[in-house]
Amino acid sequence: MNAPARLHAKALSVAFAKTPILKDLTADIPDGKITVIVGPNACGKSTLLRSLARLQKPDSGEVLLDGKSIHKQANRSVAQRLAILPQSPSAPEGLTVQDLVTRGRTPHQSALRQWSHQDAEAVGRALELTGMAPYANRPLEALSGGQRQRAWIAMALAQDTEILLLDEPTTYLDLPHQIELLSLIQSFNQQSNQTVAMVLHDINLAARFADHIIALRAGAIFTKGSPAEVVTRNNMEQVFDLRCQIISDPVHGTPHVIPE
Amino acid sequence: MNWSLRLPFLSLSFSARAVAVGSCLLLLVKVGSVLALRLGSYPFTETSWLSVLLGAGSEIERMILMDHRLPRILTALGAGACFGLSGAMFQTMMRNPLASPDVIGFNAGASCGALIAIILTGGNVLLGALIGALLTAILVVSLAWKEGLPPQRLVLIGLGIGFALAALSDLLLSRTDARTAADMAEWLIGTLNARDWQDVTIVWSGVLLLAPALFWIHFPLARLGLSDDLSSSLGLRLSPLRLGLTGLGILLAALAVCTAGPLPFVAFAAGPIARALVPNGKPALLGAAVIGALLVLAADTASRMVPSIQLPAGVFTALIGGPVMIWLLMVQFRKGKL
Repeated sequence: MNAPARLHAKALSVAFAKTPILKDLTADIPDGKITVIVGPNACGKSTLLRSLARLQKPDSGEVLLDGKSIHKQANRSVAQRLAILPQSPSAPEGLTVQDLVTRGRTPHQSALRQWSHQDAEAVGRALELTGMAPYANRPLEALSGGQRQRAWIAMALAQDTEILLLDEPTTYLDLPHQIELLSLIQSFNQQSNQTVAMVLHDINLAARFADHIIALRAGAIFTKGSPAEVVTRNNMEQVFDLRCQIISDPVHGTPHVIPE
Repeated sequence: MNWSLRLPFLSLSFSARAVAVGSCLLLLVKVGSVLALRLGSYPFTETSWLSVLLGAGSEIERMILMDHRLPRILTALGAGACFGLSGAMFQTMMRNPLASPDVIGFNAGASCGALIAIILTGGNVLLGALIGALLTAILVVSLAWKEGLPPQRLVLIGLGIGFALAALSDLLLSRTDARTAADMAEWLIGTLNARDWQDVTIVWSGVLLLAPALFWIHFPLARLGLSDDLSSSLGLRLSPLRLGLTGLGILLAALAVCTAGPLPFVAFAAGPIARALVPNGKPALLGAAVIGALLVLAADTASRMVPSIQLPAGVFTALIGGPVMIWLLMVQFRKGKL
């Protein structure tokens, strides 16, 4: 086994109103890789991601960031290393893309230091990378769904963290926009070695963009590994109750699920 | 468009539109204050008011300006600013324009506390208002709490508690002698009649003392407009922040109520008006402060202008605030937030 990953879930259990959601779950989020969490509805994907981002407090077990319990570290110091984009985020009406992306700088700012040169640089870079620079002065509600999602990703990028967590970043996007967004995320990961972990619904997109897949079923890890290891006929049947054939994606060579 | 300010110890970014609108509003405050000084049952000409302020003019003229109108105007501006700040803080924190201290009962609590203090001790208005607002806030929040503070619950429960407290105030009035009751009834609508330099000192020293805290809290408050998850993931500590904001908001509301009475709708209307002038999704604390000051100044001046009867200023703020409330309710309904 290699050195422990910077972000690690140790024996996590979470329950909502006495219904267990995660049961004694232990997982590593490999450094510098894209990890995708998959599984059927209500299997605990989002809860796992939110627990990893300290937005959900576990009933037992802990999440370790750099070897220390994430809930015992200063929230601001965690925010300098780990960013999360929750599912369908909302912003106050009228907020421009530029101001939204600047919000991502919060953990590096203070009341007296609200707009340093580094802030301006990071915001400019995030806008450029996501192609949102031309829309910087537009209010968020004047954008299309795809543009809005890119603006949110830009905010998370401006936070300038080594770890980026995304909860279903492709919700409400059509297929071309889903591919565009995931390619964008893949390119940051390749350029800056940023660790990415995200929840995705579409197993084929997961297989195409992930280095590492964690498949959950009923609050526990059913299996994990590379797309080729996880996306198999047997696993799909067990995790999703889905009878299917697996072919090799003719373009990317990754496994591709064809439901029967 | 945003402008950047960078000094060795301070860096800020602010929108050009906010600066332009802010300058216009400050100009309005200046013009309005001068008008308010000059107008009244003893009018001053365009030039005479200044020479009287500088020491010329007769004794009576100096008395009218220095002992009556000036403290009244300064109190109106200070109390209005406090109302505006308090309202904008609660509205931004709750992400709901209906969650202002006058709608959710905090002002009613402050005035009820002030009344009790007057009846029991004959003074201590500020202390009474503070304790009243604080107890009301604790009551409203604990009743409305259900795994967080759902805005609808907060607004409805706050409204209910506000009505109950208003009834309690009326009951208290009926138990005092007719003269005191008449004075208090006017105070309960909100009036700036017969304010002196002591009121000016109370409200403005309060504003100055709280100003650093307001500057400091504006930074996290602006981020709180995003969802709880987001502001938390950006490194904010939500519970201490909310506690601090609520404390500051209550202090400001109590300060305003004890110097101007529970003027209705100022705290409620100032924030939405400021945000409509600069619609950039930010809390607009400064804008709300200036709008609040202008509203109270206008209401008080109007109340002095009606000949023969002295209507309390609260009547006029209600006249301005009522339509704003209807407008906001309609917008909220359309967005499905109510």
